[in-house]
Amino acid sequence: MSRHAVIAGVGHTEFGKLAGRTAWHLEAEAAAAAVSDAGLQPADVDGLLTDPGPSQGILQGITPHFLRLGAQLGLDPDYTGSEILGGAGSVAIVARAALAVEAGLCDVCLCVYGDSPLSNAGSFEYGRGDEAAFGFFGAVGLHALAAQRHMHRHGTRAEQLGEVAIAARAHGARTPHAQKRQPISMQDYLASDSLVEPLRKLDCCLVSDGAAAVLVTTRERAADLRAPAIPILGHAQAHSLSTYTSPNHFDTLPAARCGPKALGHAGLSASDIDVALLYDCFTIVVLLQLEDYGFCKKGESGPFVEGGRIGPGGSLPVNPSGGLLAEGYGGGMLHVIEAVRQLRHEAGERQVKGAQSALVSGHGLGMNTHATLVLGSHAHV
Amino acid sequence: MSEVQPPVPEPDALSAPFWEACRNGALEFSACDDCGHYFLPAGPCCPDCWSPCMSSRAASGRGHVFSFAVYRRTYHPGMPAPYVVALIELEEGPRLISNVVGCAPEEVAIDMPVQLRFEPAGDFMLPRFAPVGDEKETS
Repeated sequence: MSRHAVIAGVGHTEFGKLAGRTAWHLEAEAAAAAVSDAGLQPADVDGLLTDPGPSQGILQGITPHFLRLGAQLGLDPDYTGSEILGGAGSVAIVARAALAVEAGLCDVCLCVYGDSPLSNAGSFEYGRGDEAAFGFFGAVGLHALAAQRHMHRHGTRAEQLGEVAIAARAHGARTPHAQKRQPISMQDYLASDSLVEPLRKLDCCLVSDGAAAVLVTTRERAADLRAPAIPILGHAQAHSLSTYTSPNHFDTLPAARCGPKALGHAGLSASDIDVALLYDCFTIVVLLQLEDYGFCKKGESGPFVEGGRIGPGGSLPVNPSGGLLAEGYGGGMLHVIEAVRQLRHEAGERQVKGAQSALVSGHGLGMNTHATLVLGSHAHV
Repeated sequence: MSEVQPPVPEPDALSAPFWEACRNGALEFSACDDCGHYFLPAGPCCPDCWSPCMSSRAASGRGHVFSFAVYRRTYHPGMPAPYVVALIELEEGPRLISNVVGCAPEEVAIDMPVQLRFEPAGDFMLPRFAPVGDEKETS
């Protein structure tokens, strides 16, 4: 008999500057919240997958992260691991948990993201190495190269990047736990400091301390749990590791390859998606994904986002919780959690009416990792 | 407080010959002896056919701007803004991250033809690029 993976519990800490608590404290709090949300007990958890976040995972090289977190949580799981895929990591571990529970390797797999770059100094320092010698630092510069090309090739305007930032803040204003709840205007956006042209401060995601967790189990195990089980209908990864040498790098994300795969597994197409949770480390990444996932044609994302289409009440709400630009930097796990809340129809003021399907993406490192999840509603179970 | 120096390259076994060639005034890329693919950065094999047989070629020094970004905020005290980081596509095909120098940031454009210019940085010579004449492409 085949086993089908579902999400049965979600939980997270507050997001922002959380002084006096380590990433471990935050991860433990998120784990407990997810287990409690499902109506399970810690002893029920027999799988543990972790995404250590940028400052822990990428810059400090904490491996194996799962070993220390597992010890702190008192777990002796049947399946474990950590993934360092940058912003694709959280989506990727939820997908890996689905594979593990469907294969019978474990029954209740806890997926945890956590980081505390604001309260633990030294996490984000300027770069070093061959590219740093040219002053090429950080993710902003990298994404500025992509934004510059999009503007050059497709005539995309600053105001169209601004639409993405404005939509995110409008969503964030309706999200009680969002780190930034003040809406912004186009005037605010255009007056925002230029960091690495063409990107402004308001094009960039927040930096946050916080942790988030998701419990993946089987449809059968979830049947009598607290909340409606949210089925994982499809998932896929695609990567572009050859970066600068690849002809299309900066113009097309690996989403163009893994989106159709994940949607195909789910038996859906982009036009069937009610709510999109798109990784939004920078506004340009949202534009690229709208194209590469097929929500609009290549090069047409600028006009597509005009008129509030991705904002509250728009025809394609993107990141109704505010995403990385307003809710907080959750490594992509907050995107998964918001999808679950939307599909459970428990998102309160920001609920997308009648949401039955959601696409969640993760994007990371040198714009070269990507992962996609397609989730359904209880009706699909 | 002493003046903060900009970061310098950190050569490893694979990249050391590249930086040594720069000291000698040559920008080198790798050429696969088996399939003829040209590439940067240097690696343990050809990224097209995985042949371990490679040799170095000196670039003509001509190329164009594939994309660029203008750093308006200073992220490193040794590298005050503004400056231009660009992904340069060499005439021979390989791309590398570098800087466009010799003109104002506002004058840089995608597809702009550029010419190699070495500039000292600590013990290194950095391959940077300057505009070629006025022949900017207006696509």
